[in-house]
Amino acid sequence: MLVITRKPDQSIVIGGEVEVIVLGITKDGVRLGIKAPRTVQVHRREVFEAIAAENRAATASKVPVQDVAALLRAAQVRKPHIR
Amino acid sequence: MTPEPANTPHVTPENADGIPVTFPKGLLGFERLTAFTLFEPKDGYPLKFLQSNENAEVSFICIDPVTVKRDYQVPLTPEEAEALALEAPEDALILTLVVVPEDPRHMTTNLAGPLIINIRTRVGRQIILSSETYPLRCPILLQD
Repeated sequence: MLVITRKPDQSIVIGGEVEVIVLGITKDGVRLGIKAPRTVQVHRREVFEAIAAENRAATASKVPVQDVAALLRAAQVRKPHIR
Repeated sequence: MTPEPANTPHVTPENADGIPVTFPKGLLGFERLTAFTLFEPKDGYPLKFLQSNENAEVSFICIDPVTVKRDYQVPLTPEEAEALALEAPEDALILTLVVVPEDPRHMTTNLAGPLIINIRTRVGRQIILSSETYPLRCPILLQD
């Protein structure tokens, strides 16, 4: 692993098109800015781990799909939960 | 029973046999499993069933997320749209995975990691969205 010391307002460039800028350092953490083309996805690692965990939880479902569907139909699920 | 939304493509007329779907990058946590079969079980709407061809233990109950959030949309990056070779919006089948806990009434679906399947080429991909905007555990049934 490459280790570089950077100060606030300094940055590193990855692959010529992704720039990671140190915006500020506090006792709670380091604030980073990322400049990248729209084709490059930037996510916190926790998002990948959380989705992988949900995928694993989904495979553990042992209830037959027809039973789940019947439960859904009986409950008349139409109201959106999120705005 | 509520009518099926018009924009949900039917998987196949021969639902019992399912259709083969390839996920070239696998699903998160299951990166090595790429060959799946998607079933549209009889009496299963709005659910579908995704079974790994390579590991019988790995299967997922999937839901049409519009059932849970009517205006659900997946913003694809140009790279993702290209990888899926999507030419028209109606080629895209969007599904989210369902987690059924011990008490099935508390089932949730993960809106942050939808599956997009090109129904024409039968190639799919799990898309990673921000879990701050899209809940990882969206309740499916209304709670009393």
